[in-house]
Amino acid sequence: MKSILITFDQAYYERIISTLEKQGCRGFTYLEQVQGRGSKTGEPHYGSHAWPSMCSAIISVVEDDKVQKILDILHAMDKQTEQLGLRAFVWNIEQTI
Amino acid sequence: MSLYEGAVKRPIMTSLCFVAVVIMGLFSLSKLPIDLYPDIESNTIMVMTSYPGASASDIENNITRPLENVLNSVSDLKHITSKSYENISVITLEFEFGNDIDVKTNDVRDKLDMITTLPDDANTPIIFKFSTDMIPVVMLSVKAKESLPALYKILDENVANPLARVKGVGTVSISGAPKREIHVYVDPVKLEAYGLSVETISSLIGAENKNVPGGNFDIGTQSYSLRVEGEFKDAHEMEKIVVGTRNGAIIHLSDVARIDDSVEERAQEAYTNGTQGAMVIIQKQSGANSVEISEKVMKALPRLQKSLPSDVELGIIVDTSDNIRNTIKSLADTIRDAMIFVSLVVFIFLGRWRATVIVLITIPLSLVASFIYLLGTGSSLNIISLSSLSIAIGMVVDDAIVVLENVTTHIERGSEPKQAAIHGTNEVAVSVIASTLTLIAVFFPLTLVTGMTGVLFKELGWMVCIIMIISTTCALSLTPMLCSQLLRLQRKQSKLFLTLYGPVEKALDKFDLFYAKVLDWAVRHRMTIIAGCVLFFAGSMMLAKHIGSEFFPTADNSRIKVTLELPIGTRTEISRDLAKEIHDKWRVKYPELLVANFSVGQASSDNIFASMSDNGTHIVNFNMRLCNPSDRKRTLSEICDSMRADLNKYPELKKFQVMLGGGNTGMGGQSSVDFEIYGYNFDETDKAAQELKALLLNIEGCSEVRISRSDYRPEYQVDFDREKLALHGLTTAGAASYLRNRINGSTASYYREDGDEYDIKVMYDPERRQSIEDIENILIYNAMGQAVRVKELGKVVERHSPPSIQRKDRERVNTVTAVLSGSDLGTVVAKAQEEIDKMDIPSGVSINISGSYEDQQESFHDLGTLALLIIILVFIVMAAQFESLTYPFIIMFSIPFALSGIIIALLVSGQTLNVMSMLGGILLIGIVVKNGIVLIDYISLNRERGMGVISSVVSGGKSRLRPVVMTTLTTILGMMPMAIGTGEGAEMWRPMGISVIGGLTVSTILTLVLVPVLYCSFASTGIVRGRKKLAKKNA
Repeated sequence: MKSILITFDQAYYERIISTLEKQGCRGFTYLEQVQGRGSKTGEPHYGSHAWPSMCSAIISVVEDDKVQKILDILHAMDKQTEQLGLRAFVWNIEQTI
Repeated sequence: MSLYEGAVKRPIMTSLCFVAVVIMGLFSLSKLPIDLYPDIESNTIMVMTSYPGASASDIENNITRPLENVLNSVSDLKHITSKSYENISVITLEFEFGNDIDVKTNDVRDKLDMITTLPDDANTPIIFKFSTDMIPVVMLSVKAKESLPALYKILDENVANPLARVKGVGTVSISGAPKREIHVYVDPVKLEAYGLSVETISSLIGAENKNVPGGNFDIGTQSYSLRVEGEFKDAHEMEKIVVGTRNGAIIHLSDVARIDDSVEERAQEAYTNGTQGAMVIIQKQSGANSVEISEKVMKALPRLQKSLPSDVELGIIVDTSDNIRNTIKSLADTIRDAMIFVSLVVFIFLGRWRATVIVLITIPLSLVASFIYLLGTGSSLNIISLSSLSIAIGMVVDDAIVVLENVTTHIERGSEPKQAAIHGTNEVAVSVIASTLTLIAVFFPLTLVTGMTGVLFKELGWMVCIIMIISTTCALSLTPMLCSQLLRLQRKQSKLFLTLYGPVEKALDKFDLFYAKVLDWAVRHRMTIIAGCVLFFAGSMMLAKHIGSEFFPTADNSRIKVTLELPIGTRTEISRDLAKEIHDKWRVKYPELLVANFSVGQASSDNIFASMSDNGTHIVNFNMRLCNPSDRKRTLSEICDSMRADLNKYPELKKFQVMLGGGNTGMGGQSSVDFEIYGYNFDETDKAAQELKALLLNIEGCSEVRISRSDYRPEYQVDFDREKLALHGLTTAGAASYLRNRINGSTASYYREDGDEYDIKVMYDPERRQSIEDIENILIYNAMGQAVRVKELGKVVERHSPPSIQRKDRERVNTVTAVLSGSDLGTVVAKAQEEIDKMDIPSGVSINISGSYEDQQESFHDLGTLALLIIILVFIVMAAQFESLTYPFIIMFSIPFALSGIIIALLVSGQTLNVMSMLGGILLIGIVVKNGIVLIDYISLNRERGMGVISSVVSGGKSRLRPVVMTTLTTILGMMPMAIGTGEGAEMWRPMGISVIGGLTVSTILTLVLVPVLYCSFASTGIVRGRKKLAKKNA
C-alpha cells in the first residue's frame, strides 16, 4: 500500500477524481482549499489579491501496482496544461486499521 | 455554493431565470405609456373664486386676501401667487416638487372649508388641479357654414361633452362659437313714458315664463292633474306679454322693447389659417398622460365627425403628443445606435465572436429588466428613463468584460471551461461588486435630490442603480454560465479571420507598446508631468468664465404662441384686422408655418381655457405650428426672434409676447428672467417697472421685455352723493343694481328649447347705451316708486383702474420678464443686477429675481451639494475596497480633469452650462474613477507580486490599457448618438452627451499618465519613510 498526495490547481479537481475512479481507487481524502507554491516555476496559489488562485489536495492510499499508472496519467495531465500546476508525491504506508 | 458556482452547474435554471426576466420586461414595455418627462407638472393647484360685480381691488381685499391668509398655512407651499381680476380671483399654489398633489388638494379643500369671512354673494371657491402654465394637449379647429349660428350648441353636445368624458381630460373649452342668448332690448324713452322700468319688465317675463302645477282632482272615476303651462314655446311669444296699461289701453312688451333672438353680444372669434371657425381646446388633468389622451381623442374624432351636421368639419391645429412621440422615437434611435457602437468596440477589442455575444447579451437583459421597475412605479417611457438607458449601455458591459477576461485567462492556462468559469469569476467577484458600488455611490444620491431637478433625477438615479445591479448579477451568474458553455480554448484561427483581424491586433499591440514607452518616460519625469497637469487644469479653469449658463436647454417642439396686446379698449374689429394683416404677412415670410390659428375678443366667462389666459377685445392670441425641425433651416429661436423684430415694427401694438414652445416655460422653453417688483403702491411699482424695462432693453441678449401688470383700463365711475341718495331713500348698492340691469342686463328667465336653456336678458337697446348722457339719464326708482335720474344723484366721471392685481407670497407684485436669446442667463442677470443696484428704488419697493434664474440657482446649488456628497461616497467605497486612504486619494485626481474636459467640450461646441451638462459632469465622477481603480488595482497587485515600483507601474499600465480604453470607448460611443443626434428633442440631451464625452476623453488620457505618476511619487515617499523607520529601529 502506498499513499499518493496530489496537490493541484482547483481546476483539475474533476479530472483527477475521474482518473482515480477509472483506476479503481475508491478511497481518498480531499482537502478543498490549500495554499502553496512550486519549488521552481510554480505560480503561488494563495487566494490573495495578488495571487487569487487556490490549490486543493487529495490523499489516496492505493495498491502498489496501481501507483505507476496513476502517476503517469497525472504527469501527462500536468504536461498538457503546465501553467495550472499539478504535483504528486508517493510514500509508503506502514500500517492501517 | 456561491452564485456563480450554482449558475455554472445549473445552466438551464440560470438561462430560464433570465428568460423570465426578459419576458416580464417586454411585457412591461408593451404596457408602458409614453410621456415627455416623468410626472412633473403636478405641483400646482389653482383656486378660482368668482364674486360677480366686484372690481379688481374689491376682489383683492374681500376674496384674495382672506383666502391667501388661510391657504398660506398649507404645508410644503413654495409660492402663493394670485391674480385678482374683475369678478374673479385666481390663486395659484405652487408646491415643492415631489409632493402628492392629491393629498395637497385635500389639504387645500380642508383649509377652504375653514373660511367663513367671504362675502355672501361670492361663489364657493373651485379647486383646479392644473396650472395656468398648462398647455392644451389637443386643439381642434372647426369649420362650419350653415350651422355657424348654432355651432356652440352643436359642438357642446356632440364634441365637447363626449371628449370631456375621456379619462384624464381636464376641461374641454369651445372658443369662437358664440352662445345663443335672447335679448329684450328696451327703449328707455318709451319706458319712461309708460312709467315702466327694466326691473318690472324683467320680473314680468320671469313670472310669465313659468309652468305651474295646480294639483290633482277627481272627475268621476278618473283622477286628473291640473297644470298651467306658461313657458314660451317661441322667443317671439314674449312680444305679446302685457307689461301694463295706460289710460285703459294695454301695453304689450313689443310696444316698449324689441326681442332679439341671437347670440351673446361679446364673444371671442377664432380664425384658423385665415378662415373663421370655432376652436375646441382640450386640456389634461394634472398627472394625466398627454399621449394617451391625444390617442383617445384622435380615435374618437371620426366617430364625433359622423354625429355632426355635414357642413361642420373638425380639424387638428395642435397635437402636442406628436412632439412627444417623435422625441421618444429619436431617443430610441439613439439607444439603438449606442448599442451598435458598443457592440463594435467590444468585438474589436475581444476579437472573438463568442466572447462578444456573451458580453453583449447583458445589454438587452439589463435594459429590458429596468422596464419592470418603470411599470411597477407607474412611470413612463420618457426623456429621463430613456436617457438613463442610453447612459447605462456603455457601463453594463464592463462587469461582464472583466469576468470574461479572467475566465479566458483561466482557460488559456489550461482549465476546463466549467472550472475556469467558476474560479475565474470567484477571483474577480469582489472587485466587480466594488466597481458597481462606486457607480451606485454616484447614482443613488441622485434619487435624494429634491426640487424640480429632483423629479427628473430621481428616476434616472433609480434606473441606473437598478440596471447596474442587474448587470452585475448577470455578470456573476449568466456570464460565467455562458462562458462555461460557449468558450473553448482557442486553437488556430481561420485564415480569413487572421487577415481581417490581424491588422487590428497588430495596431492594438503597437498602441500598448507606445503607451508603455510614454509611461516609462512619464514616471521618470514626474515633476514635469505633475506641473504640466496643474497648468492644464488652471488653464482650463480660466476658460470657464467664457461659458454661459442657463437652466435647461431650449427644446424645439415646433410650436409658437404669440400674444398681441393693442391699447386697452380697442374694439374687436380693429384687433381682428391687425391680426389678419400680421397673419397674412407671416404666412408669406415664414413658409415653415403649417397651421396658424388666432383668436380675438372677449371670452365668455364659462370658457375656462380662455379665462385662464388673458383675453379681451384688444388681445389677440396666436397659436402656430411649424414643420418638423429636420425639415427647416431656421431654428425655432431664430423664427421667434424674427417674429419679435416684425412685431416691433407695429407701433399700434402696446405689448406683445412671443412664446417659444407654446408657452411652456420652465423646462424646454426659452430662458427668461423675472424681476419681481414688490410694493403696495401701484404708481411706485409701475415707475420702477418702466425704468427697469428701459434698462433691460439696453442689455444685449434680452430679446423681449414685458411688464406683467396690464395697462389701466379707462372706465366710467358713478360717484353717488350719499346725502342725495339718502334723501330719495336709496342706497349705493340699490342704485348701482339699477345701472347694472340696464347696461349689463338682468337675466329675467331662461328660455327652454329641446332640453337646453338659454338666458333671456333684459337690457337697454344698444343704441341707447352709447354715451355718458345715456348713463346720466338712467332712471332710478325708490321704494315709493318715485323716479330720479342718475345725474341728480351724483356725477359720472372717467377714471382708470388696473384690470388685474397680481400678488405673490401675499404681497402685490409687478413682474418684468426678460426673454433671452443670443445670450445666457448668468451674464444677463449679472448685468441686470448691476443696473438695478444703480436704480433709485423708493422705500417699500423691493426687486427680486426669479423665473428660470431662480430655478437654475436652486438646481445648481442642489447639484453642487450632490457632487460633493457623491465624491465623499465614492471615496468611502474606494477606501474600503483598497483598505487604504492613499489610493483613493490618487484616483480622485482624475475628477478635476473631467471638469477641464467638460469646459473645453462645452466651449468648443458652443453649448452652455445647464442642468443637463451638469448632470453629465456628475455621471463622470463615477465613470472616471473606475479607470483609476482598474489601473491602481493592477499596479498594486504587481507590487504585491514582488515587482519594483516603476516596473509594476509600467507593466501594470500596459496590461490594463486595453480594459481602460475599452470601457471608456464603450461609454463615449454610447453617448455619441446623444451628442450628435439631430432628431426632435435632441437639443435637450446634447449638452449631457457632449460634457460626458469631453470630460471622459480628457480625464482618461490624463488619468492614464497622471495616476501612475502620482502612484510612483506616493509609493517612493512611502518606501523612503519605511526605510527611515527601519533605520531608526535598528539604531
